[in-house]
Amino acid sequence: MSKWYPKKGRVIFHVDMNSFYASVEAAYDPKLKGKPIAVAGNPEERRGIIVTSSYEARAKGVKTTMPLWEARRLCPELIVMRPNFERYRAASKEMFKILSEITPNVQPVSIDEGYMDITECQDLGSPLEIAANIQNRIANELDLPCSIGIAPNKFLAKMASDMKKPMGITVLRKRDLPKKLWPLKVEEMYGVGSKTAEKLNGINVHTIEDLVSTDVYQLKRLLGINGERLKNRAIGIDPSPVDPDAVYDFKSIGSSETLPNDTVEETEIKRLFRNLARNVARRLKRKQAVGRSVQIMIRFHDRRTITRSVKLPNYLEDEDEIFAVSNDLFEQNWNGDPIRLLGITIQDVAEKKEIAHQLDLFTYEQEASKEGLYKAIDKLNEKYGKSTFIKLNSNQEDNQPRTSFQKDFLDDYKK
Amino acid sequence: MKFVIQRDQLMDSVQNVMKAISSRTTIPILTGLKIEARHDGIKLTGSDSDISIESFIPKEEDGIVYVEQIEPGSIVLQAKYFPDIVRKLPQKTVEIEADDQLKVTIRSGGSEFHLNGQDADEYPQLPELHTEDSFELPTDLLKNLIKQTVFAVSTVETRPILTGVNMKLEDNHLNFIATDSHRLASRRIPLEKQTQHLNFSSVVIPGKSLNELNKILEDKQDSVEISVTENQILFRTKHINFLSRLLDGNYPETSRLIPEQSKTIVYGTTKELLQSIDRASLLAKESRNNVVRLQTKEKDQIEISSNSPEVGNVVEELSAKSIEGEDLKISFSAKYMMDALKAIDNEQVKIEFTGAMRPFIIRPIDNDQILQLILPVRTY
Repeated sequence: MSKWYPKKGRVIFHVDMNSFYASVEAAYDPKLKGKPIAVAGNPEERRGIIVTSSYEARAKGVKTTMPLWEARRLCPELIVMRPNFERYRAASKEMFKILSEITPNVQPVSIDEGYMDITECQDLGSPLEIAANIQNRIANELDLPCSIGIAPNKFLAKMASDMKKPMGITVLRKRDLPKKLWPLKVEEMYGVGSKTAEKLNGINVHTIEDLVSTDVYQLKRLLGINGERLKNRAIGIDPSPVDPDAVYDFKSIGSSETLPNDTVEETEIKRLFRNLARNVARRLKRKQAVGRSVQIMIRFHDRRTITRSVKLPNYLEDEDEIFAVSNDLFEQNWNGDPIRLLGITIQDVAEKKEIAHQLDLFTYEQEASKEGLYKAIDKLNEKYGKSTFIKLNSNQEDNQPRTSFQKDFLDDYKK
Repeated sequence: MKFVIQRDQLMDSVQNVMKAISSRTTIPILTGLKIEARHDGIKLTGSDSDISIESFIPKEEDGIVYVEQIEPGSIVLQAKYFPDIVRKLPQKTVEIEADDQLKVTIRSGGSEFHLNGQDADEYPQLPELHTEDSFELPTDLLKNLIKQTVFAVSTVETRPILTGVNMKLEDNHLNFIATDSHRLASRRIPLEKQTQHLNFSSVVIPGKSLNELNKILEDKQDSVEISVTENQILFRTKHINFLSRLLDGNYPETSRLIPEQSKTIVYGTTKELLQSIDRASLLAKESRNNVVRLQTKEKDQIEISSNSPEVGNVVEELSAKSIEGEDLKISFSAKYMMDALKAIDNEQVKIEFTGAMRPFIIRPIDNDQILQLILPVRTY
């Protein structure tokens, strides 16, 4: 089998679920199969935008982030559903479980995609066989389509998984690059957003091939260090490792929400802050984390956006504390203009087990009452090892993530 | 207004009143420094409306003449420029003159500055305090009271009252208490004179005011007269009036929170303990908590340790004078402990613990006027 594996270098998969939310919905209700479906946040309100859509809907021109009314115009028979994050999360967890049965070197990137490093998996067959196996299992067990890119690094694997959808398996080797990668438009390259593409077009770089033939110093002048990185990737160099723990690197946890209408109503603003604080507190709790800086974001009716933050002497985790600090910040910084969106982000986040909890003179009695318990735990831990006890998270149900942009759930498949 | 003054005297006074002047004040004229020339000397005033400082330079003192050619009058000058100008003037004497148009001329040697002044009538009048309700303390003792407590005030506004030092008068004792709710510092002194006549029993002085006051007061035996009204406090020395607003609200009753019994008592040498914790905190500083651990060992040994997973760890043993009571393992902020030990003012220290989750008390071995209390940390 080893002939399929490079002597030096790695074999990386990028597994990308095809129109994930829509596919999960179709798996739940097979009647939806073959029909144009779209998942949209809050179909009734103005912020209702397409989160994802099935390939049938895409064929009619429906695109992600398109406002709902526009999608309905393009595709009148469109079936619009509210997101069921519960379902997506469950499906995602099963999907990553399948991946992690191949190798522990799985790096989840979002709810519906992840990298795998299968360099050490020669016993399981050739990379193509392993990929086909993964694709079949996900299709048979979860009734979900996915595309898999196979390449010597993460960047190429990501580009490869994008080349054939749905249910594709694409191998992208370095020698394939001139034919398969370089003819693509530069904005199709992973890591090139509209702003970067605009800049590149400005110096007459339109295809990835143009990028490859551009002088690296010129790119650096234009895009900084990222210019060099993009060029390296285009010629097939991306040393970044598949890091199973990357998802644990969290420095901030935040939540933001658009108001249904621009407002100056303080009660409404307070209510939203309360919600955001609750969200953030819930997510901190999921992470068993605490934070020390609080940042608020205010976007005004004219899209002008400000952020203001404060660093606290102590770590906080409580909804009430987060709310109080955010509200203070808001009151100090709001000029009275109508507000469109508010956000709270907790920064300087640390896992609880890394930090110590400073007891408080006015409240220590409560904690001290548990001293006997802690002492007993300490003793047993000393005797039987560190993880003899874990603190159970109360009301799990309440801790479920609410949006697709939270990565908190990505550690769940390991449970 | 006109006068000729010794530059060094002027500079000292300017520096004193500058402690009260803030560039960020809601009353624009308070960004200025008020100069008032009187027949008996020059008075400078600075204020940010929380703190006001008056510094007086007498015409002459102990036969030395500081100010000459006084023509009475007053003016307010921009505090942004005036101190630097005075500091850099070429000669030992300075002539300052203001005309009717509020133009100020500053001359020294060949140098001549012209500044635009502001009308002193627009400068707020400082309230006159009744001085009946007052008592006196030696300056160096007052400075000690401040130094031993003020570091423990809270630096955040979540409970504004804790940003101040509680000054209490009871049983002919004066008590200074400060806490940020994680540690508490208190110092108690007997008052020599009868204090029955005093009307206040407990006020809260902003920590910031006391810090500034401590900087201004010189370490000497002369006394400071302290007068308290409902919402202000005045510290008066021979040439300085320091007026501060008091904090509104009730200071929490802390005495009941201080444990009366202890389970473990450690007697040790203040300096050794301080140095040991200082060393252990070298690594702890890098991590987020600055936490060190203290553990009692056999034969009157104490182990101080600190562990920062990413940096490394340190363990150090030192001998206590003696250890009484139960074995103990406790973690606490190295910074709080060092602050407390520095305030102890005695070679020997007595530390009383009541368990790993309860506050512990640090005192000089032979007096209970100084009390430092620290809440431990619990590692999750």
